[in-house]
Amino acid sequence: MRPLIDLINIDKVYDNGVVANNGVNFSVKKGEIHALVGENGAGKSTLMKILYGMEKPTEGEIWVNGEQKHFNSSTDAIAATIGMVHQNFMLVPSFTVAENVVLGDEPRKNGLIDRDAVLNITKDLSDQFGLFVQPDAIVNSINVGMRQRVEILKTLYRKAEILILDEPTAVLTPQETDDLFIAIRILVKQGKTVIFITHKLREVKEISDRVTVMRHGKMIGTLDTKDVSREQMANMMVGREVFLDIKKPKIKRGEKRMRVKNLSYVSEIGRQLLRNVNFNLYAGEILGIAGVEGNGQTELVEVLTGLKPAAGGTVLIGDCNILESTPREIRLRKIAHIPEDRLSNGVAVRSTIEENIIVDRYFQKPYRNGLFINRKVVKTECENLIEKFSILTPNGKLPVSSLSGGNMQKVVVAREFSSEPEVLIASQPTRGIDVGSTEFIREQLVEIRSKGTAILLVSADLSEVMSVSDRIVALYEGEITGVFPDASKVSEKELGLYMLGVKQQTYEEMEKYL
Amino acid sequence: MKNLFKSKGFREFLRVLIALAIGITLGFIITLFVSESPIEAYKSFLFGPLTRLNRIGDWLEDSLTLVLVGLAMCIVFTAGQWYIGAEGQMILGALISGVVILFVPLPPALRITLAFVVSAIVGFLWAVVPAFLKAYLNANELITSLMLNTIAIKAFEYFLKYYIMPEGSRTLTSARVPKDLQLPSFIPDIPILSSIRELWMKQTSVSIIVYIAIAAVIAVYYLLYKTPFGYELRTVGSNKKFARYGGININRTVLLAMTVSGIFAGIAGTHLTLAIHNRLIVGMSSGMGFEGVNIAILARLNPLLVPISSLLYGYMRAGAEVMERTTDVSRELVMVIQAVILLLVTAERLMPTIQQRIDHANEGNNINDGKIKGGINDI
Repeated sequence: MRPLIDLINIDKVYDNGVVANNGVNFSVKKGEIHALVGENGAGKSTLMKILYGMEKPTEGEIWVNGEQKHFNSSTDAIAATIGMVHQNFMLVPSFTVAENVVLGDEPRKNGLIDRDAVLNITKDLSDQFGLFVQPDAIVNSINVGMRQRVEILKTLYRKAEILILDEPTAVLTPQETDDLFIAIRILVKQGKTVIFITHKLREVKEISDRVTVMRHGKMIGTLDTKDVSREQMANMMVGREVFLDIKKPKIKRGEKRMRVKNLSYVSEIGRQLLRNVNFNLYAGEILGIAGVEGNGQTELVEVLTGLKPAAGGTVLIGDCNILESTPREIRLRKIAHIPEDRLSNGVAVRSTIEENIIVDRYFQKPYRNGLFINRKVVKTECENLIEKFSILTPNGKLPVSSLSGGNMQKVVVAREFSSEPEVLIASQPTRGIDVGSTEFIREQLVEIRSKGTAILLVSADLSEVMSVSDRIVALYEGEITGVFPDASKVSEKELGLYMLGVKQQTYEEMEKYL
Repeated sequence: MKNLFKSKGFREFLRVLIALAIGITLGFIITLFVSESPIEAYKSFLFGPLTRLNRIGDWLEDSLTLVLVGLAMCIVFTAGQWYIGAEGQMILGALISGVVILFVPLPPALRITLAFVVSAIVGFLWAVVPAFLKAYLNANELITSLMLNTIAIKAFEYFLKYYIMPEGSRTLTSARVPKDLQLPSFIPDIPILSSIRELWMKQTSVSIIVYIAIAAVIAVYYLLYKTPFGYELRTVGSNKKFARYGGININRTVLLAMTVSGIFAGIAGTHLTLAIHNRLIVGMSSGMGFEGVNIAILARLNPLLVPISSLLYGYMRAGAEVMERTTDVSRELVMVIQAVILLLVTAERLMPTIQQRIDHANEGNNINDGKIKGGINDI
């Protein structure tokens, strides 16, 4: 039987030279639930954006229902009965559920919107597909699960036959996930086809008929789900990679610098994202956190740096619990932070490089001289850092927005490293930057570790965690599932099983290595 | 020469000139339609303020008020706060200055000084309310400051009516400020200048506020660009999340931005009472607190440009008044011109986009060097 969707030899190279898809072949049969799995940055989202018309492939063909398609925008894809539910919902919060469903293609009567029809359409669709919503509720007031159902109804209202769900369970509670799965089965029973993006292997096993694994922009394989175990999938996802060769002097582990005890965090909407996390950071050691993104890493880092309030537990520096402290006080205890989201947290793009460098020190001597900021000292210091960290810029008075991603990150790194931290919390330090800068930043990390800084390294890039860290803990759904005292003695495959929650060590097993 | 054309300042200047030219042309086209004698009317708008000494004086006086409120707005806008409470702060400053001047028994020099100090304090304190509402209840400062303006204006009228208005007076005004308590002329009382001083004082009351305004411009410039506090303001305005991450106390910064701006708005109020109107009268601000917003935006939030944008804006105000008084065109027309100019000045893409593209291409080549390669981590 001819597949419903056929993507043939898709290449996608972004303008900045990033290769997101490389010769990908992907086909979906009518009426199946097809899971698409892979690590972050594997190219799943790009592939789906191509299918949904949001991105144009550099090379390759798109066939839908036996016809070759050239999508110029998602409008074209919608016309070809493809619908997509994005990870970040695209709803108007102040409109009702029903209004959101019909938005853009409203039923009219006498030139005005037919309000009764709006409600009825939504109600009918909701009944037909078992997607329970309250048509007249304001979107602002409904929970995440219902919002997601509204998104699905939106696509169904536009006559979608093929539904792409981009990590639909990432924001759901287990109960909501079960409801979603029931709804997906009803959809398929009524003849729809579902493509389900995820990196949770348990869900793949539970819901999908077939699974396609991607890694580093390439297709690794498509298999019948019943023929493949979670372990095999994990292996395919993580795969074997070439490590960047890093020269690491032998570890000289010093005293305990930071003690994290029973730390937990509950998000604003009431989801528990960290549960009883325990670990210690030692001087002269890099502790890596391995985990699939969205398993609590972001929250862990933000709680440790004072940007989010913890729900319980303690974080001790010496005898002081820094959970009570402001970001400024934490920085004054010589804790530096390379934030995960560079553009929103790490720099102020409209400010100059100088202004970005001094944000943690402008109020102290010698940067402050009585009432004023000492321009000369700032300038000299900034010039030194530009040179030392090879930031590519004519001078420090230019706005950070004039720099490339890698150089922006060097500004962040230059600031944080030059504050001579005793503890460094580095989150995704090399994400999205070029190879040269990546290598440079990794070397710098190792260098300050060898000089005695305690480092917590969080990265979605597993090979980075494994090659840079001395010790590794695996984090899964906000819990530590395993600890590996010697990073060089653990295999990716083994680590992958802990990251995906397939295996778990008991607290007693872990205790002495945390 | 090439450098001059390329420099940012020059292009900004050119942009304002173009905006002015377009605005004035557009204004003339409208005048053609609404006036019996459009050329006369437009002439009185364009040159009216310069035709008499007292008109020059009025122009300068209003411009001085605008400088002070414009500076106030520069401070809050630099911190990224859409706070527009200068009107209220100014009107309360005017009120308290009047009270001090009319009722506090002190020698004139001390009384005037006290009026300035107290109005600055009142302007400062008045902003504490919206700042706290913002910091602790996340109330939108635009709304709260607007509401507080109304409260301030009504409070002004209340106190004027029930406590300050002299008994038996038929109009809602206070007693006049005696001559010796008005702000002295800006021309020093020395023999060489005495004839000019006399001539000037007969026609206008441009006062020592000139010096205060100049000092304020320099002070705000230093405050914003040279001090740690200014750094905090600018960083919060540039990227709040980054400021927080870097350890800056955002609530404190926002509070201080609003309150410090109130000092200047308050002093502007003193200027209204002790130099322009010489008494308290309903509507004495004539909306200049709001026009501070336009001044600050015209000056692109640069305190050093505030005097220029105030003089320009004040000139249009003055011209509008002359035109309204002497011809059949109303001042509303001038508001249209002002709005057009403001729109064009704030429009980022007024200058030929080609020039910008060339610049971008150059910057790109110099800095980025095509460095982004490999690495697919961010897809």
